[in-house]
Amino acid sequence: MPKHELVLLKNMMQPGYTGSLADYEKAGGYQALRNTLGKIAPTDVTTTVMKSGLRGRGGAGFPTGVKWGFLPKDYQGPRYLCCNADESEPGTFKDRQLMERDPHQVLEGIVLACYAINAESAYIYIRGEMVLGSKILERAIGEARAAGYIGKNILGTGITVDVWVHRGAGAYICGEETALLESLEGKRGLPRVKPPFPATHGLYNKPTVVNNVETLANLPHILSRGPEWFASIGSPPKSTGTRVFCVSGHVKRPGNYELPMGVTIRELVFEHAGGMRSDKPLKAFIPGGASAPFLTPDHLDVKLDFESVAAAGSMLGSGGVTVMEEGTSMVWAALRLMEFFYHESCGKCSPCREGSSWLVQTMRRIMARRGQMQDLETLTDLCKNIAGRTVCAFGDAEVSPIMSTLKHWRHEYVTLIHEAEAANLIRPESMGTRH
Amino acid sequence: MPNTSAETVRVTIDGHTISVPKGTLLIEAARRVGAMIPHFCYHPKLKPDANCRMCLVEVEKMPKLQTACSTPVAEGMSVRTATTVVNDAHKSVLEFILANHPLDCPVCDQGGKCDLQDFSHQYTATTSRFAETKRIFQKEYFSPLIETQMNRCVQCLRCVRYCDEVMDVKALAPVGRGTMTEIKHFGAHPLDCEFCGGCVQICPVGAITSRLSMYEYRPWMLKRAETICGYCGDGCQITVQTKNNDLIEVNSAYGAGRNNGDLCAKGFFGFHATSHPERLTHPLIRKNGTLVQTTWEEALEFIAEQAGRIKQAHGGQAFGGLITGRCTNEELYLFQKFMRLTLGTNHLDSSARYGQMNSVQAMRRVQGTHRWTVTFEDLEAADVLLLVGTNITETNPITGLAIKEAVKKRQATLITIESLLPAIGTISNIANLSQHHFCVSPTLFRTAILGLQKAVVEQNLVAADLTQQRSSFVTAVTARLQQLSWQDIQTATGAGQETYAAAAQALAKGKRVVVVTGQGLLRSDQGYAGAMNLLDLLLLLGKLDQPGCGLAPLAEENNDQGAIEMGAVAEFLPGPVETTDQSGRDRVVDIWKEAPPATEGVALIEMLARAKSGRIKAMFIVGENPLASLPAPLEVRESLDKLDLLVCQELFLTDTAALAHVVLPVCSSLEKDGTFTNTEGHVQAVRQTVEPSGEARPDWEIFSALSGLLGTPLDYTESREILKEIRSLIPGYGSLGPAPLPAKADRATMDRYLSRGFERDLAGRYQMPRTPSRPDGTVQIELVQSLFHSGKLSMKSKGLIQIEGRSSLRISPRDATRFGLVDGNRVRLSNSQGEVTAEVKVADRVPEGHAWFPDHFSQEVNKLFACVMDTETKVPYIRTTSASMVKVS
Amino acid sequence: MTLSEKYKDEIAEILSRYPVKRSALIPLLYLAQREPGYVTEAAMTEIAGLLKLTPPQVYETATFYTMLNLKKVGTHHIQVCKSLMCALVGSDTVIGWIKTKLGIAPGETTADGLFTLTAVECLAACGTAPMMQINDDYYERLTEEKVDKILADLRTAGTSPLKSGPYMWPESTR
Ligand SMILES: Cc1cc2nc3c(=O)[nH]c(=O)nc-3n(C[C@H](O)[C@H](O)[C@H](O)COP(=O)(O)O)c2cc1C
Ligand code: SF4
Ligand code: FES
Repeated sequence: MPKHELVLLKNMMQPGYTGSLADYEKAGGYQALRNTLGKIAPTDVTTTVMKSGLRGRGGAGFPTGVKWGFLPKDYQGPRYLCCNADESEPGTFKDRQLMERDPHQVLEGIVLACYAINAESAYIYIRGEMVLGSKILERAIGEARAAGYIGKNILGTGITVDVWVHRGAGAYICGEETALLESLEGKRGLPRVKPPFPATHGLYNKPTVVNNVETLANLPHILSRGPEWFASIGSPPKSTGTRVFCVSGHVKRPGNYELPMGVTIRELVFEHAGGMRSDKPLKAFIPGGASAPFLTPDHLDVKLDFESVAAAGSMLGSGGVTVMEEGTSMVWAALRLMEFFYHESCGKCSPCREGSSWLVQTMRRIMARRGQMQDLETLTDLCKNIAGRTVCAFGDAEVSPIMSTLKHWRHEYVTLIHEAEAANLIRPESMGTRH
Repeated sequence: MPNTSAETVRVTIDGHTISVPKGTLLIEAARRVGAMIPHFCYHPKLKPDANCRMCLVEVEKMPKLQTACSTPVAEGMSVRTATTVVNDAHKSVLEFILANHPLDCPVCDQGGKCDLQDFSHQYTATTSRFAETKRIFQKEYFSPLIETQMNRCVQCLRCVRYCDEVMDVKALAPVGRGTMTEIKHFGAHPLDCEFCGGCVQICPVGAITSRLSMYEYRPWMLKRAETICGYCGDGCQITVQTKNNDLIEVNSAYGAGRNNGDLCAKGFFGFHATSHPERLTHPLIRKNGTLVQTTWEEALEFIAEQAGRIKQAHGGQAFGGLITGRCTNEELYLFQKFMRLTLGTNHLDSSARYGQMNSVQAMRRVQGTHRWTVTFEDLEAADVLLLVGTNITETNPITGLAIKEAVKKRQATLITIESLLPAIGTISNIANLSQHHFCVSPTLFRTAILGLQKAVVEQNLVAADLTQQRSSFVTAVTARLQQLSWQDIQTATGAGQETYAAAAQALAKGKRVVVVTGQGLLRSDQGYAGAMNLLDLLLLLGKLDQPGCGLAPLAEENNDQGAIEMGAVAEFLPGPVETTDQSGRDRVVDIWKEAPPATEGVALIEMLARAKSGRIKAMFIVGENPLASLPAPLEVRESLDKLDLLVCQELFLTDTAALAHVVLPVCSSLEKDGTFTNTEGHVQAVRQTVEPSGEARPDWEIFSALSGLLGTPLDYTESREILKEIRSLIPGYGSLGPAPLPAKADRATMDRYLSRGFERDLAGRYQMPRTPSRPDGTVQIELVQSLFHSGKLSMKSKGLIQIEGRSSLRISPRDATRFGLVDGNRVRLSNSQGEVTAEVKVADRVPEGHAWFPDHFSQEVNKLFACVMDTETKVPYIRTTSASMVKVS
Repeated sequence: MTLSEKYKDEIAEILSRYPVKRSALIPLLYLAQREPGYVTEAAMTEIAGLLKLTPPQVYETATFYTMLNLKKVGTHHIQVCKSLMCALVGSDTVIGWIKTKLGIAPGETTADGLFTLTAVECLAACGTAPMMQINDDYYERLTEEKVDKILADLRTAGTSPLKSGPYMWPESTR
């Protein structure tokens, strides 16, 4: 594949492409579905996806085919597919584009996944704010249903897949797969304790697969062009295919860029996103959404694939790359994200619930120049005490801005504290209270 | 006991290797080796939620610490609960939980019994690193009985989960998100729920407390005593806590009693009757027409003198006695011994007559027991449950929890025949959990049972060996059932052949099938026949004598079962054995050294008739109030007025007591020792928790004293001596173990029944009850048990009066529309018996055409009721009537 | 009028999507909110009845989600994203503009009940920041002139042509 061949964004980049069924079919859409349903055994579809090396694009990067393989083979009752379209990770805005510009690509992926896992119902859990996206999807479902791609007896194969759009109502945590299921069941979006995993006890306690929009959108291509084709893109063997990277922050041309995995951050930012917006140099970046630890200019040549980013001490996550220029206060940036996490902690686990409120208040105090040196130790302790001790990965996520900024820019915290000490603004009550 | 999975796994905890059943949670396994893992959100009654993260432990081969409360042990697992890493984790989680916790321990009622306090003491430094502002919730009024202080909440959600998972009430909501999550109820009015007190009990901190005892105590000031609740037949164990003889609080410990820590509103909030200011504190004697205070000596001597005179002149047949099933076994026993030996009569009765007799007689006849052949554990383990006329949430709430557990946690199939619509309300509704619900009028419960029986025979679900070995029974019953038409059954019950067939299939498929029936059926004129039909149903299915199967009739009053077993009814001597049973009599004579009278006794209604006609001249009424509880046409007042001697033993001056010649103040169950026998036949110790009010004495002491004065001394110095005599005479009272050993169906009795015994009243029992006509403008009024009341004691309990302080007639929404009524309107109810007015309240669960009046508020409406008596069991039927209803403007 | 009277067919359609009734809860809460802009106590009670839940079960769910209002909000609910990505390129300034133009701080409603301002967390438009959502519509790449025009449009027409269409950024093909 030439370096910049587009896969997922290809159709929508064509001038005049509207995302209608007709446009999608003209571009070769639903061929994968025609050639797969009833023609290839569902287990072979799963094998194909395994071979392609496709890993989840939602954040955790779990191999998609392997996840499907966890569903109980002999289970008789209903199974479900949930398309995770909650896209709430700050810095991430690719699923929105995939759904709003080329909804049928997502739908085709959904039907293929349902076929592979033998599910007759799929719910697209879309974040509540995306009203336009949900309307576009609903219209597309209507078109696909009329054309026989969705519904009972798809294209005469006897296969049934029904798809519904379910709007969330404003809660980041509902992107976490088990919280998503709870929310879809009409409850508060609190993550479930795992095990059991959704593969055996998912929606309505039935075997369920949750996959991200982008993950699913890859399926028609994998099935059309073969797993070997897919596996040859990116950084094989472990990070195959393209990613839609969402670039935001202080760059000239922020936006979504589909590139093979393994592209360097330098190339993404300076070749594709147009470089820094002003003449200030790059100071920091987040490689994979708000949950991913900050990295420094030293990491500009890190390859954007799962392993390399992890090795650099961060994570590829949702593919949201946020760039910050020199002059940005890292304490302020971490605080902004901490405010997000504080606002979004569901409140189920005590370390996350109480820790997020404690962290945010301490950070605000430091920012307001009312901090003390011992606060830094407290911050570090609190972060350590939250990470790994919660029901879901939110706990690990919420501490990464503070942990990583403390690691790379501790002096900025120290400066603020020195300013505080100089101004003698420390409140007496902040010296520690008795229980 | 139900047999849980026999599979075990071996796990090593802190170096100790033990075998535990597969599926055991780590936290429980650790407890067994003595490792107490700190926790807040875990509670053995609830599904693990693992939200507090307090219980983290190290599990070998797992990279992260695991929550012991949600991790089932696996074979070969190795766990460490006390390493530095684990301790640090506990400390840090606690630091988080304490961060926002207020430091108001000095004014917190949980102080001294607070998990947070205890763990903090164990784990944390005395200063906090938390230098920020603590979260503060706006204080909101919650309810008259329950106080919330949400700043103290640790958000473990135990209260919310309990209210849902155990109670099925779902009155509590975690509101909001994150740190600002707050436990609330819904709506602008105070909390409206079952008031079981479960949230108060299960809260590990002081966020939810009882208002009845607010700020009154510190736990270490309290004296505790375990006893048995005196309200209903469930027989819950309660811990009564007192301070200087004042009643402060009642609760119940997890793992204790048949209720295993659960209580209902009566048990939890209803303990104040004992300390009510209107309690009788001195004997009263009638002088110049009015009751005046007197001494025990004068009162007892007067009674002895009068009784002696009457006995001399008219013989033992001139006496009658009535006792409440709320007395202890010892008192019931001594009462009947006093009546029989001292006064020389079998004319005695107890409140068990109102319904419990029906089921006992039916069980004796068919299976040769007077008790359940199952236990509460069998209810929980049942795979199919059939409920008939139980009104279980209101009448026997804790047995109701066993049913909920079976259905909600263990996926049992529930079939219900209840006069109840499935509807969500502020108290739970068993019909909501039912897979096959027959909403049937109480007068037609038996029709629905017949429908099930008919479906069983028509679907060929009759047990094969029964068909082979007992063909005469099967043929006779089948023939009768075939005469019934599905059309008629459908008209009467609203359910057709297929619905019955589906339920019958479920019953037949069940391995552990328990039929539970209650006072809705047993207190109706169909009570005896209905109980017989249910036993026949179990026989046909081949389940009656199978392990884990059986009939479980629910006793309404706490010791109705004991009353019958003690022989406190006309037809039974202790045992119970029939007064006419020679070998039974011999055994009694053996112990008593004297023979009980030979003349058969009469039951309550006949006693009253004889009093009116002058044949009975003296009555001893103990804790019963027939004047208020029996309908007007029985003319109780006229009967009692005729008596030369009426002695009442009472806690309060009831309407009946006000007519007495002598009123003797007695102890409440919190003031005395003894035993109660609960609905499943479990005998449990009742213990004194406070000193008697004034000069009140236990009832048994009074019988003992009088017997002495009358020259046939029944001498006992303490109730335990009476229990000893009971043990020698009555099987099942041998030891007071933690769980009952259920009776076994008697083969010989069953054989006798199946060969000829069934024939006697076959025609009657296999005839459909008449469908009462209900002309336009009328409703069928039923007296139903309220969850919050069970008689005069509940009416004197300030907590319960706050929840439900006055009566209202519950009507269906459709009737409300039809009659143009809204909550609070008054209606006039009238029929040929009389006329009353009542306030209405619309309730979704009331079936159309029915109107429920809470029993125990019923004195006024009693005017509308008539009384029919069961010829077989002498049970008076006084619960249903029909009346025309009009709105009063 | 009750919801069932008003939206009979729509409710039936919503219920038909799910094998378990409770799943229809959020869709029904949206329905209840559609006209008044918030969910009333009566609506929650009615929905509880429709779904065989208790009112507290409806309440606990409703209060978990930020998009369900339990109190009245302005006709136009302006929600400006204040998360890091938008903040890097000026969302605080946007909030400042609106504050001065409408005289309301986040959390407040104009006296005429027309506008409510809320600062919200990331709305998945970080590439086109700063941005805001007003009722169902997104407005992106905000400038002061754009904000003025949007507010004016809303005041006069109740809607603005400046709202975003299907998302695509960067727009040009490479
Ligand atoms: C706090 C949290 C938020 C998440 N949010 C999202 C999200 O918005 N969208 C998404 O696709 N996955 C999200 N995830 C990841 C999902 O839990 C899940 O891994 C993913 O949907 C699986 O799909 P995939 O295998 O196709 O990536 C989130 C995870 C966590 C812990
Ligand atoms: S880690 Fe936070 S977001 Fe995740 S379940 Fe716990 S409280 Fe909720
Ligand atoms: S007790 Fe285990 S997490 Fe709360």
